[in-house]
This record gives sequence, structure tokens and C-alpha cells, in this order.
Amino acid sequence: MSSEPVLSLRDVRKSFGSVSALASVSIDAFPGEVHAVVGDNGAGKSTTVKIITGLHAPDGGSIELLGEPLSHRRSTAGLHEHGISVVYQDLALVECLDIATNLTVGRLPRRFGFLLDRKAMRRDAQAVLDDLNVRVKDVSTPVGLLSGGQRQIIAIARAVRLDQPLLLLDEPTAALGVQETAHVGEIIDRLKEQGKTIVCISHDLDFVFRHADRVTVLRLGRSVGTRLTRETTRAEVVGLITGALSRDLDGAA
Amino acid sequence: MEKRSLVQILISRQELSLVLVVIAITAAASVKAPAFMTQSNLLQILEGSVFYFVIACGSALLVVGGGLDFSVGATFTLGGLLSSQLMSEGLAWPVACLLGLLASIVVGVVNHSVITYWHVPPIIATLGVFYVLLGVTTLITGGLDVVPLPDEFQALAQGRILGIPNTILIAGLVGVVTWFVLEQTPFGVNIRALGGNRQAALANGLPTKRLDLTLYAAAAATAGAAGILYASRVGSGQVNAGGSSMTLSVITAVLIGGVSLLGGLGTIQGVVVGSILLSLIDNALVLTEVPPTLNTIIVGSILVGAVALDHLRRDHLYRKR
Ligand SMILES: Nc1ncnc2c1ncn2[C@@H]1O[C@H](COP(=O)(O)OP(=O)(O)OP(=O)(O)O)[C@@H](O)[C@H]1O
Ligand SMILES: [Mg+2]
Repeated sequence: MSSEPVLSLRDVRKSFGSVSALASVSIDAFPGEVHAVVGDNGAGKSTTVKIITGLHAPDGGSIELLGEPLSHRRSTAGLHEHGISVVYQDLALVECLDIATNLTVGRLPRRFGFLLDRKAMRRDAQAVLDDLNVRVKDVSTPVGLLSGGQRQIIAIARAVRLDQPLLLLDEPTAALGVQETAHVGEIIDRLKEQGKTIVCISHDLDFVFRHADRVTVLRLGRSVGTRLTRETTRAEVVGLITGALSRDLDGAA
Repeated sequence: MEKRSLVQILISRQELSLVLVVIAITAAASVKAPAFMTQSNLLQILEGSVFYFVIACGSALLVVGGGLDFSVGATFTLGGLLSSQLMSEGLAWPVACLLGLLASIVVGVVNHSVITYWHVPPIIATLGVFYVLLGVTTLITGGLDVVPLPDEFQALAQGRILGIPNTILIAGLVGVVTWFVLEQTPFGVNIRALGGNRQAALANGLPTKRLDLTLYAAAAATAGAAGILYASRVGSGQVNAGGSSMTLSVITAVLIGGVSLLGGLGTIQGVVVGSILLSLIDNALVLTEVPPTLNTIIVGSILVGAVALDHLRRDHLYRKR
């Protein structure tokens, strides 16, 4: 492998009470790559994302960002300083606020340091949406009025706007139609061209093989294998997901 | 955007439907009681709403942010009584007021700690603090009112500028500042995000604990400040001022004003109308010689109606997924 991983998970473990969500997850994501994470429902994909962002603290293992270990107990408030942006599966939008506010909350534009700059907020939001070719009627529409797919796109736009080197996407196309899925694919391709690292969880293997460079399979809370998409087949990936193929020996990443 | 019907506009802007209620009561009262429509009576109505309103400003921010404070009535008592007691022991009145305010803020910090670190739901935590405070305030003076208070301190709330009572001017100032904070600062947006979807606020990296702390401190601070203002207005520190009826009136003003208990939604304009409405009903019923029992019946009905309207409003604002 030519370069150092941007993000490196080693033997990450996590239980919720008596439920073991992650038994041992290891993932290396390299710069400028789209790294897909696949696996059945409950395999631990979302939990892995939430551990990377600091929403959950892992029970064991290590997480390194650009070779620097990340503390297990950190708040999500420092996420942007670490250079990570994220789209959670459960979206994390505020329904009673409008699109513009949702796109900018956490990093609101200010005037004189203490005043909210609503104009800049609308302008920024519109610019981000235009840039991503997302059409909405009006950025002052409350997010609660949007359809599931529209919300998904807004959440993605929000993450893209933060312009961080590492982007985590948890099932970004789950609620989307054919056209919108292709659209998200284009956005991912473009971010990759810009040299960003993208970790993308998906159940859509077509999507994975079309846009990802590397794919890690999680099964029952374990990472059971990582493949380059151009060197593997759907059959092999499906076999790893279902357990028909046995997992790689530890350390094979 | 489709054209919206009058009904829809009324639903989405609760303060507008409230203004209609205010106008209706005003019209009915001025027909029945000629003394109602006089300038002095209207000022009296405004003055009667001042204490509800000042407390409601902090409480409204808190409720928009997804919290709730039942202890404000007792914090009100504490602010007024402690400041008065300190003055009567010879402390300069500005210093005494400052200490009274500080003590109130401590109550807010205690509320926040009990809720955040002991995981007690806000209603229970602040209700508990309310009872504890009632006892504490009685201990401060041994159950006695504090008189007399310094003239300069009394002038604070009893004076007038250009014929307008200082209390109204002070409440106006508190209202403008609160409106400004909620509508024009990033902090205000963060509060709405926090109350609108706490998970999302956390996930988006907002400092949720610090926001909570600030909100509980603000709710307690306005309650304490209102208590001090009240002591100045009546010229004594009163053990029986505030208490549970004050808590209930404030929460009623906040909810009638269209602030949603579910968080995220609400405006200070609404709280203005809600506070005035409470005082207006009091006043109109006395002047029209309606038996006082009707007061609580009317207030209760309006409260339930307002919260039902809030539900409608949410349905109108959010489609079901
Ligand atoms: N906060 C939590 N509390 C308790 N159990 C949890 C929690 N979060 C996840 N789990 C459990 O951890 C396991 C993994 O869940 P996770 O959400 O990571 O799966 P997933 O791979 O993202 O599944 P899906 O494809 O359905 O999104 C599940 O058994 C789930 O019930
Ligand atoms: Mg998931």
C-alpha cells in the first residue's frame, strides 16, 4: 500500500449492556479512496460510525486519525477540528428549523462576532445546494416539510459543506430513488477527485461496486474481510456478508 | 408556496390568534365596565403582567431549548427576599440586588446539575428544588416580611419616566434583549436546534450541556430579577410573594404564548401577549364584577386550547414521514 491510512480502526469493541454490538472491527481507509462498509442489518455498521465520531465510546481497541490515536472519551463537539464530517443514518436534522439553518447549524455565519448573519446563512446554503445541483423550492422551508429523500440530500449537503478531509456516510442512498442515488454517486465521485477520503456504508452492492475502491464486510460485529472492488466479485462479497465464505485471518485488512 | 387560508395563518402564528382573544376580552370588558378603557387602567393591566413576563422571558428560552423549570416561583421569592434581607442588614442596595441575583443563578445551576448528572427528569428535579427553596426562603427571615427597604431601591420600580412606570420599561428592556438573543444570535439558533432535536444537536457538535446550563441559569436569573423588582415595587421583601401560583402563571403565559413544550418553537412576541392576557383576564373580571372563580376556569380553558393549537401547528408544519 502506497500511503498511510487516514483512518485506522484496530480491534474496536463495543457492548451496550449485554448486547455485543462490535466484537472486533478493523478498518483502514486510505486518502483519496472511497471505502465502502457493507454487512447485514445489525452487523454493527452504524455503531462503528458513531464510535468514530465520538457519539459512543468504544470498550476497547484503537482508533487512529492520520497516525494520531483518538481518545475514546471525546465529545462530538470536536469532530470538525479532527477533520471529520458525517451523515448519520438517522439523519440528525432539526425538523422545526429551515433548510438554511440545518445546513449551517454548528457553524453559523456571524456578523461582528455575536450577530447571526441570516443573509449569509441563506446565501451559503443556496450556494452549497446549487453547487451540488440540489433543487429545493426555498431554503427557508422547514425541514419537517421535506420528504425522506429530500432530507437525505440535505443531510449530505450539510456534511459536504463542512469540507472536511474525511467524510462518513451511513447509508446515504437508503431513502433515495434511482435518479437521486445516481446523484449522490456523482457527489461522491467528485469528492474523491478532490482527494477526500470517504467511508460509505451501504446495502446497495451495485452502488458499492460502481463508486467504491475498497470494501470491508462486517458480520455479527466483526470485520470479516476487506477487498479492492476491482479485484473481487459480488459473489465473494455476498459470501462474506452471509457467512458462506469464512472470514479472513485476523490482521488481513 | 400555496396560498394560505386565514385559518392556517392563525394556526401557524399563535400570537395572532391570541391577539384576537385579547381584543375580544377588551371589547367585552369596555362595554360592561366604563372604567376599563381608561389610560390608568390599561397601564395597570400592563403593570400587572410585568412580573409574569420578566420570569417568562427566561423560562421561554428554556422551554424552547427543550427544558422546563417549575422552581421559578420560589426563585422569585428567594431573589426578592434575600436582597431585601441583605439591605435591611445594611448592605448597599446594588450589592444586595447583585447577591440576590447570584443566589438565583445558583438555583439554576443546581437545577441543571440535578437534571444532567443525577438524571432526574426536569419536572421532578425543579419541583423538588421548588419545595426545598420554599423552606430556605422561610429560613432566611424566620418567616417574616422585610421592611422597610431603602428609598433609592424603592424608586427603582416605583418611579416613572414620561408617565410610564419603570417596571414596564424594565420589562420592555428584558423582552427586547431576550427577543434579540433568541432571534438574532447564533446562540438563539442553537437553542432551537437543541429543543427541536436534542440528538441532532449533539450529533452536529453543539455543546449541549453548556447550552442547558446557560438556559437553566437564565430561567433562574430572570425569576430572581423579577423577585427583586417586585420587592422594589411593593417596598418590602415578602415571604408569600411568588410560590406555586407564580410558577403556574408563568408556565401558563409561556404556553399560551405559543412556546411548545416539545421544544424548538416559540417566540417572545407570543410570550408578551400571553403575559398580558393573564393580567387582562384578572383585571377585566374584577372590573366587570364576575365572580373570581371564573378566572381560573377561563385561564385553564385558554391554556388547554393553546396547547391543542400547538399540536395542530406541528401537524401543519411537519408532514408525517
Ligand atoms: N444505542 C444502542 N443501545 C443498545 N443497542 C444498540 C445501540 N445501538 C446499536 N445497538 C445494537 O448493536 C447492534 C448493531 O447495530 P448497528 O446499528 O450498528 O447495526 P447496522 O449494521 O448499522 O444495521 P442496519 O443495517 O440495520 O443499519 C444491533 O444489535 C443493535 O441492536
Ligand atoms: Mg445502520
